[in-house]
This record gives sequence, structure tokens and C-alpha cells, in this order.
Amino acid sequence: MTYTIFKSIKLLNPATNLNEILDVVIHKNKIFSISKDFQTEVLKQNNQIDIYDCDGLTMTPGIIDMRVNIGKTENLVSTQKIAAENGITSMVILPNQTPKLNNPSIIDHIKRQSENSKLPKVNVYGAATKDDQGLEMSEIGLMSEMGAIGFTNGNKSIKNSLVMRRLMSYAAMINRPIIQHAEDEDLSGLNKASTTLINGEMNEGEISTRLGLIGIPSCAEVIIIERDIRLAKLTGVNYHVAHVSTRDSINVIREAKKAGLKITCDTAPPYFSLNETSLLSYNTAFKLSPPLRIEDDRLAVIEGIQDGTIDAIASDHRARSKDTKVQPFSAASIGASGIETLFVMTLELVHKKIIDLNKAISLLTTNPANVLNMKKPSLEKDELAEFIIFDENFPDMINQNNLKTSPTPFDLRKINGKILGTFINGQAAYISQMFKDKIIK
Amino acid sequence: MNELLNNKTESFLSSPVKLSSNHLLAIEGMKKSEIQNLIDRADYFANLDKHSNTKTLQGYVVLNVFFENSTRTRVSFELAARRLGAEVINISLINSSIKKGESLLDTASTLNAMKPDLLIVRHPHSGAPLLFADYLNCSIINAGDGRHEHPTQALLDALTIKRRVGYLEGLKISICGDIANSRVARSNIHLLTIMGADVRCVAPSTLMPSNLENLGVKCFYDMKMGIKDADVVMLLRLQNERMSGTENPSEREYFKFFGLDETKLALASPNAVIMHPGPMNRGVEIASALADDSNRSLIKTQVEMGVAVRMSIIEALNNTKNEILKN
Repeated sequence: MTYTIFKSIKLLNPATNLNEILDVVIHKNKIFSISKDFQTEVLKQNNQIDIYDCDGLTMTPGIIDMRVNIGKTENLVSTQKIAAENGITSMVILPNQTPKLNNPSIIDHIKRQSENSKLPKVNVYGAATKDDQGLEMSEIGLMSEMGAIGFTNGNKSIKNSLVMRRLMSYAAMINRPIIQHAEDEDLSGLNKASTTLINGEMNEGEISTRLGLIGIPSCAEVIIIERDIRLAKLTGVNYHVAHVSTRDSINVIREAKKAGLKITCDTAPPYFSLNETSLLSYNTAFKLSPPLRIEDDRLAVIEGIQDGTIDAIASDHRARSKDTKVQPFSAASIGASGIETLFVMTLELVHKKIIDLNKAISLLTTNPANVLNMKKPSLEKDELAEFIIFDENFPDMINQNNLKTSPTPFDLRKINGKILGTFINGQAAYISQMFKDKIIK
Repeated sequence: MNELLNNKTESFLSSPVKLSSNHLLAIEGMKKSEIQNLIDRADYFANLDKHSNTKTLQGYVVLNVFFENSTRTRVSFELAARRLGAEVINISLINSSIKKGESLLDTASTLNAMKPDLLIVRHPHSGAPLLFADYLNCSIINAGDGRHEHPTQALLDALTIKRRVGYLEGLKISICGDIANSRVARSNIHLLTIMGADVRCVAPSTLMPSNLENLGVKCFYDMKMGIKDADVVMLLRLQNERMSGTENPSEREYFKFFGLDETKLALASPNAVIMHPGPMNRGVEIASALADDSNRSLIKTQVEMGVAVRMSIIEALNNTKNEILKN
């Protein structure tokens, strides 16, 4: 019988205010003991005891990545494996994939496909509407019985106000959140059905003028949020705004929260780490939706993270093939990879002293669990071992050539921090060589 | 400025210009001296008899690759290259590779395999020539990319003004019309501000791009104010093919407020000249009679100067490449 001992590891769980250097012992997939200075003598001699020197390392609950696109170039299992290597123990996938996740049987299929494995758990958002036009409500009650944890139209806004009202009302009844990609499609020019020919390519402003690219005004985001807040008030739904990117949006959400509405939001690393000036060389790795905004918007996202207006950080992973990205900017696909950089880019906020580590971990674990009404992450005796181990200071550099998904908008960025191990359902989903080398007995 | 020009020796003007880059992709970022030298050298070519021997680029291979329709620019580049003695191949890709689904990168590598010295590219997408520059070994000239830039047009406009007025610095130049969709406007704004002209932009608010003042120009929504005392009135074509039907109520309304007619022109400087990159929409951007007024309209001169400017640029790129190889 194997006992694995993590000696002198910093334990951090924002859900229980745990923040202490302790010894953690796991045995039979469960946390056997959490204590100061664990004495191996209490274990019987014939047991195998693996002791790892975890001085300087941190153990926290695993990351819940609440926004992952499974693109055409990926499949679920490969994405799960990459997620595990990057500290993600649970992820929520968007319904806008092929086939669309818009009925109970496909939700059931995906849940079954991904269950009982030592890979990250897969949760699913069901498509809020059956059709691409966003006019017909999906069977959201049946889908939620099959395990859909929220409803959204993925990277398209739920545009029609009546449809949104009904969806919110119904979702409130079955106690599921509505997740919105807030963007007025007429203003952004992404509405294919519209008679207008424009096709928004980046944030509107001086840079779009210089580059001769079609701008999307930043108000296209807040316009939808403001409408939705009124409908959320009317219906009492849990309303969640995905990847907020502008100061105006964050201000409006802050006020709505103050007024006591059940509103939450997340953002993604590009929106607190980059601004639109990245596009000056027409680099399509920065073609994102929502588009990268101005520096003031980036600062507002950081303020929103600091004061709690922004509840969570998600990867907004949307990997794309090189073929669709090595194109003129206008013709290139939208999106960038995210699961491989979510943890280190969030940790960058800690190294820059914008937030503390406890806050960073809560943005990645406890908070998404709260938003989506999932089980609170725990790090307690007798629970299944489900946690990550990382070195928060390990100096490293993000390099596209070493990543498994592309394109990264953070290529050649110097970072600090590395995931060394990921445990899911009591089993090691990922153990780095660096961690294996820390064995002392 | 005039003094500066006169001080230049004949030997300088009759030798090719050296640029800081292997490509001409945009005016933005170019040095004032580079622009000045290109214009001076083009001026020299413009003064030559068209039968003078300028064939210094024998064996130099130029691919004229157009992903968008063009008559004047394509012909102008072709003439320029031929007058320098280069071999020119025109390739129209409007209906071929793109429709077959070949990626731009594959097209680029196919063209690269033919080992051209220079690729002249026009493309409907902003920034496309930069992509070519990244993946091809030859020099690239941007002959117009989307709404981004059309650097050779700005250089020929500058030469045209210089030959008529004598200088650019301090000139009041009003660029009027569909600025939002115009690559000509962007290149001209960059070039003229680099050269120290006083640039004003006049457009209906729906066709004025966001934060344009940050490029160093003044913006006007009233044409009468925008062209007041102007030395040069540059008009732009309404690019209906890039519009969605919500920019402009009608052509006649546009002409009423933003079309150049005698009444509005009377507000400009008495010697003001009129320019237009063509093709013109007569009776929309400009009253037909004004377009044909040879005393004030430089529209035909612009076309003529196109060849000289492009000769100067092609020659400069070859010279620059040779300099790089030497070092």
C-alpha cells in the first residue's frame, strides 16, 4: 500500500481560508492526513512510502476553466490532456462546436464520454437556442437534467430581446445561469444576416484607422449588457457575462451588483495583459473576440479583478490552425489558444502585485464554482485527492514552439510559475519530471 | 525647401536613391529624407524625354500581381518597369487562385519559386503585402491594400504638387471625401504630415475614421470650412463597393454637401489646384467642368507622374537590395 507524502508544502484553499505550510499524505486516492510535521513511523513498515520534498511549492484546488471552445483542430480527449498538464481539473465547454450541443442526448453523450477518467472533468453549456438565428429556445430543462450547467450561444450574442427574456425566465425557474457573449452584432458587423457589408475586425480607434481595418466600437459590448441587466431584473435569473473587456461594461456590472442583482462576469488573460497596440503588425494571433481594447479598458479590467466586480478568469481557449491564421488579417480566423497560458498569466497578476496568490486562486477555482453552482473545491482529510502542485516562482518563457495549441497571443513572454502536478479523482493526471525528481525516499 | 532643392547637385539627382528597407509597404514610418529623395529622383525621370535610355535594370524580373481590379496603377507600374528595362509579367488573380481556395501563402510561395526580383501587389485586404514581405525573398511594393495604404499614389501626388507649386512644407492641403475607406487618404496623410504640410480632412461624419486627428490632421465636417484658403484640394472617390448603404443618403445629397463645385472652390486659395486619384465619379465628388479645367485640375498630371515616381521607386529598391548584398 502506497502512501505519498508531500513534505512542507504550502496549502492554499480560498474556500476555507486555508493558507499554511503543512505535510499532506495521500493514500488510496484520498487525502489521508494533513498535519504539521507528519511522522512516518505511524505507518506500518511494509507499506511503500514516497516522500516528496515540496519546499517552496504550493498545493491548491485544481483550476475550473469556465470557458473552453473545442475547435475543429482539436478533440475533447486531447484538450483534456493538455488542460491537465496546465493545472485544469475541470473545464466547461461551449456549445458552438460541430455538432452543436443543443439537445439532451448530445449533452448526455459528452458527459458519458468524459466521465470516470483521470482527465479533467468536462462540464457543458447547452446551446440556449436550437437555431443559429437565436430565435427558438432549446430544451434547456432536459439538457440541464442531463448535466448542462448553464446556457449560452457561445461566441454569438443572444440578440433578440424577447428570446432573451423567455430564456432568462425559464433558466431562473430551473435554476441555471445564462451566459452571454455581449456584443451587438449589428454594430460589430458580425451579423451575417444583416444587410450591411461591414465585418468588424478589431477595436475601433486610432489603431484601426492607421491599419485600415474595420473597427468594432467598444460600446457594442455594454449595450447588450445594459439590456440584459434590465431583463435579469425582470426575471430574477443568474446572469453571467463572459469575457468582459471594456471599462463601461465593468462599470455597469459593478453598479448592478451593488443594486443586488444576481450578476457575475469573467474575463480572460488577453484582456488584462494586452491592448490593441499589439495589432500594429497585423499579427493574427491577436485577432480575438471581443477584440483587444485600449489601454484604459485593460486597466479597468484589472481594477474589476481587484475590487471583485470580475468574479472569475477563464482561458477563453479557442485554438486555431496555422492555415487559418497565416492569412491577411481580414481573412484570418478569430481566436487564440488559452488553456496552456491561463494559470501562468493569472499568476503574472500576483508577481506584478496586482492581487495576492489567494485571490488569484479564488478567481480560478472557488469563484467559477460559485458562479456555476458547482461543488466547492476542497482540500480536506478523507476527501478524494484533487489538487494541483505548482512552483509559483519558476522562471520560464511562453514559447509557441513548445505549446501544443496555437496561436498564443503571449509568445516569448517572460513568466514565473509552473504546474508540476495535477491530481484528479485521487489519481495523478499529470506529474512533471521536475516533480518526480523531488522524491527523497 | 526650394533652396534645399536647388542646392542638390545634378549628380545626386541622376543617381538611384537608397532606402532603409527592401520593400515599399507603407508611407507611415518612412523618413522625410527618403520621401524627398524619391520625389527628386522621380522629378528627374519626369524631365527626361520618354525615349531617353533609362534601361538600367535589364534582366530584372517584376511580377505585377493584382488581386483587385486596376487599370491605371497596373499599367503605370508596367510602363515604369519597362522604361527601366525590366521584364514585367502581369498576373491577375481576381478570379483564379483565390476562387480555387488556394491560401495566400501558397500563392506567395508559388510566385516565390519563380524567383522574381520584385513583386508589385494589390490586395483587397489591409496588411496583405506585409504577409508577402514575410514569406517571399524579393522586394515588395504595396500597390494598394484594402483600406490601409497606397504609398506610390501618395508619392506621385507629392511629385505632382511639387512640380506645380514647388514645395510641400506649410502648404494647406484639404483631403475630401470617403476617408474611412480610402488607402490613398491614409498614405497622403502620412506623407504630407511627414513633409510638413498643413493637412485638413473633410468628410461626412459617417466616412470619417475614428480618432483621425491623432494622425496629425484637422478634421472638418463642413466642406466650406475645410477647404477655406486651401492651396490643394484633393478629392477621393466614394468607394461604394466598400459601403453598406448607411453611410450616405444619396449621391445628390453627397454632391450638395461634399462635392467640389465653383462655389465651394471659390473659398479656397485663388491659385488652388484640384487633384483626384481616379477613377472619378463626375457629378458626385466633383463637378464635371472643374475636372476638365486644365488650369486648375492636375488629375491628368497625376497619372503622368505615376510612371516617373514608380521608376524612381523600382530603381531605388533594386539599388537598396544591391547595397544590402554588398555589405
